[in-house]
Amino acid sequence: MKFRNMSWAPYLLLLPSFAYLLLFFGWPMVQSLQLAFRRDSQILPLRAEPASEEAAITGELERGTTVEVRDVQLFETKAAGGLLTDKVFWLEVSGLNPEGETVQGWALRGQVFVADASRSATGTVRAGSATLRAEAQPDAEPVGELPQGAEIAILAWGKVDSRIAAGGLLQKPQNWLKVSGETADGQTVEGWVERAPIFLKDAKISATGRVQSGEGSKEWTLDYVKRMLNDAKFSQALKTTLLLIVLILPVQFTLAIIMALVLQSQLRFNSFFLYLYAIPLGISDLAAGLVWYTIFTQSGYLNSLLQSLGIIDKPFIFISSANKEWIIIAIVLAEIWRATSLVMVIVVSGLQAIPRDYLEAGEIFGASLWQRLRHIILPLLKPSLQVALILRTILAFQVFAVVVAISGGDVVTTLANETYRWYDISSYNNKNVAAAYSGFIMLLSLGIAIFYLRAVRTQEEKEAVG
Amino acid sequence: MSSTTTTQAAPVVRRVRVRDLPVEQQRAIRARQLRRAGTYVLAITIAVWIMLPIWLVGTLAFSTPADVRAYPKQAAPIPFSTDTMEFFLNARGVLPATRNSIVVALLTLTLSTAIAAPAGYAVARYFFRGRDAYRLGILAVRAFPIVILAVPLAVTFRNWGIFDRVYSVALMHTALTLPTTILVVSSVFASVPRELEEAAKVFGCNAFEAFLRVVMPLALPGIAASAIFTFVMSWNEVFAAVVLTLENRTLPALILYNLDKSGDPFKFAGGFFMLVPSLIFIFFMRRYLFNMWGQITK
Repeated sequence: MKFRNMSWAPYLLLLPSFAYLLLFFGWPMVQSLQLAFRRDSQILPLRAEPASEEAAITGELERGTTVEVRDVQLFETKAAGGLLTDKVFWLEVSGLNPEGETVQGWALRGQVFVADASRSATGTVRAGSATLRAEAQPDAEPVGELPQGAEIAILAWGKVDSRIAAGGLLQKPQNWLKVSGETADGQTVEGWVERAPIFLKDAKISATGRVQSGEGSKEWTLDYVKRMLNDAKFSQALKTTLLLIVLILPVQFTLAIIMALVLQSQLRFNSFFLYLYAIPLGISDLAAGLVWYTIFTQSGYLNSLLQSLGIIDKPFIFISSANKEWIIIAIVLAEIWRATSLVMVIVVSGLQAIPRDYLEAGEIFGASLWQRLRHIILPLLKPSLQVALILRTILAFQVFAVVVAISGGDVVTTLANETYRWYDISSYNNKNVAAAYSGFIMLLSLGIAIFYLRAVRTQEEKEAVG
Repeated sequence: MSSTTTTQAAPVVRRVRVRDLPVEQQRAIRARQLRRAGTYVLAITIAVWIMLPIWLVGTLAFSTPADVRAYPKQAAPIPFSTDTMEFFLNARGVLPATRNSIVVALLTLTLSTAIAAPAGYAVARYFFRGRDAYRLGILAVRAFPIVILAVPLAVTFRNWGIFDRVYSVALMHTALTLPTTILVVSSVFASVPRELEEAAKVFGCNAFEAFLRVVMPLALPGIAASAIFTFVMSWNEVFAAVVLTLENRTLPALILYNLDKSGDPFKFAGGFFMLVPSLIFIFFMRRYLFNMWGQITK
C-alpha cells in the first residue's frame, strides 16, 4: 500500500507510548547494567551523626574492611521533591582504617553488607512452665522443664516450618528459641522452647559486616557477576528453570493443540467449553501455586484421595526437602494447568486462519485425523506455534510465585526466585547481584528468541532449497 | 429471491434411517458418531481437569475452620460457611492490600488505555515511515521479561523518592501491559471499516468528530475487553509488586510476602479470592479472546 499523504499525525499519536516505554523500559535496562557492572568507589566515609550527608567525617574505611555493627537506626528521609518520604537504615560501625587506626561512625545500610547478625537477649518464663525439647519441634524429646519466672539465657533463634514439621499437621510456623536455664530442682538445662511463653528483655543486636561500597566516582567491575556465578544456588536455579521448561513445554503444547482441536470441532455448548478452557488465562501464578498447594500439601487432597482409596495408610509428605522430585512435579502440574490456556488461545487463532477448504480436502481424500494433523494443520500452524513457543519459553524463565507458593522457594529455586531473594531486604539485600540475575534472565530470553527465529528460518531455507 | 428458496428447500428430503443404508455407510456413520462421542468425553475430561482444582480450593475457602483443618479433606463445602473467608479478609493488611490492588489495577487500566489508544489508532489507520519497525519493536518489548526490570526500577524509584507508593506500582504495571494493549487496541481499530469513517467525513464531520462519533462507538466493546484484560494482568502481577513495595503491598505481594508466616486457611482462602476476578472477567470477554490474540500472533 502506498503512503497516504505524509503527515505528523501518526507520530504525534505514537509519541506518548514511545516516551513511556523509553522511560519505564529503556531507562531501567540502562540502570540494570549499571547496577550489575558498576561499583561505587572504594572508600566509605563514616559520619559523626546518622542520616546526615553533611555531618563531619570521622574516618574512612576501605571496601572489604570487616566492621562491627554497634547500632542500627531507622530514618524517614525526605526525598528530593520534599513531599515523599523514604525509609533508610543507618548503621553505626567501627573498623580499622587503611592506616590501622580504629574509626567509628555512621554509614548507610546499603554500603555495609551485614554478614552475620545475631540477637542476644535474656528472658524469663512468662506463664505456666516451659518445656525444653531436644529439637525445635513440638513432638521432640523433652529435656527439661522450666518453672514460671525462671531466668534464662537465649542461645539461638530458630523457626520451624509447619509444612516440614513432622506430625504437626496444620500449624502456623512458630518461632523457637534455644535457651538455657535452671529447672525447679536447680539443674542447668539447655534446649529448644517455643517463643510464645518467653518474655524477652534487653534484646540486643550484635553483628559484623563488611564495607560493600563507598561514595564518589564509580568503576566497572565483574564482581557482582562473579558472585552470582559462584553462588551455590545459581547452578541449582538455572538447572531447575531449564528442567521446568523441558518438562512443561512439550506437554503444554500437546494439550493446547488438543484443546484447540476440541474447540474447533463445533461441539454443542462450545462457548461454554471455551469459557472453561480460558479461565486459567486470568489466574495469577501465585493463585495457581496456592491452588495446587491445596492438592499437594501434607493434609491436602492428593493424600486424602490416596488414603480413602487405601493406597497409603498415613499422609505422605510430598513437599519436603527429601522429595524434590515431588515439588518439581507439583510445579510442573500447576504451570501446565495455568499457562496452557495462553498457548491454546494462540493456537485457536492460528487454526481459524487456516482455510476450511484445506481441511475439507484432506477429509474428502480420506486422510485420517493424524495425517491431517501431520501434513495440513501443523505445517500451517507453524507461525502461531513459533510465537507461542517464544512467549512461553521467556515466561518460563520468570517462574517465581508458583515455586514460592508450593514449596516456599528454599528447597527448589528458580532464577527469578533467586533474583527476588538477592533483592529482598529481609534476605540478602544486595541489589547489585539481583541486577546481575535479572540481566542474566534477559540475556537468556534474548538468546532463546534468536535461537527459535533462526531455527525456523534455516528450516525454511532448507525447504526452499530442497 | 425465488432461487434461494428452492436451494434452501432442496435438502429437506425424507429422513434416511441408518439401518436402511449399505453396510459400509452404516459403519462410516457409526465410526463418526463414536468419534463425536469420543470428542465429547475428551472435552469434558479437559473441562474437569481445569475446574476440579478451582472447585477444591473453593471448597476449602467455604468450609468451616474445623473442616479446613480436618484430614482427609471433604470434596464439597458441606456445611457451607464463610468463616474461613472472613478470617482471611479480616487478617491484618488484607483489606488495605485489596484496596491497593484495585487502585493499582484501575490506574494501570486508565494509563495503559489512554497511552495505547492513540498509538493503536495510528498503527491501524495510518501508513507511515517506521510503522513496521514500531510494530516489531512493540512485539519485541512484549516478549521481553519486563517484570525482571522491577529490580533496577526499584532503585530508580528510590532515587526519585517514589518507592513503595501505590501509583509507582501502577507505573510499572503500565509498562508491563502497554505493549499488549497497543497491539490489541490497534487490532480493534483495524476491525472498524475504514469506509464508515470516510463516509462520516463526506457528511461533514472533521477527522476528530468522525473518530468520536463513528469509530469510537464501534471500537468501544473491544477496547473495554482489552481494558478488562489489563485490569486482570495488573491484579495478578506479583513479582514487580513485591519488589516495588514494602508497606503499601498489593494483595498478591502481601500474600506472597506472608506465605511462610501464615497458616493453611489463609492460603486456601487467599488463593480462591485471587482467582475470582478471572472467573468473572473471562466470562464477559470470552468472545473477544481470539480477536485479541489472533492479531497479536500475526
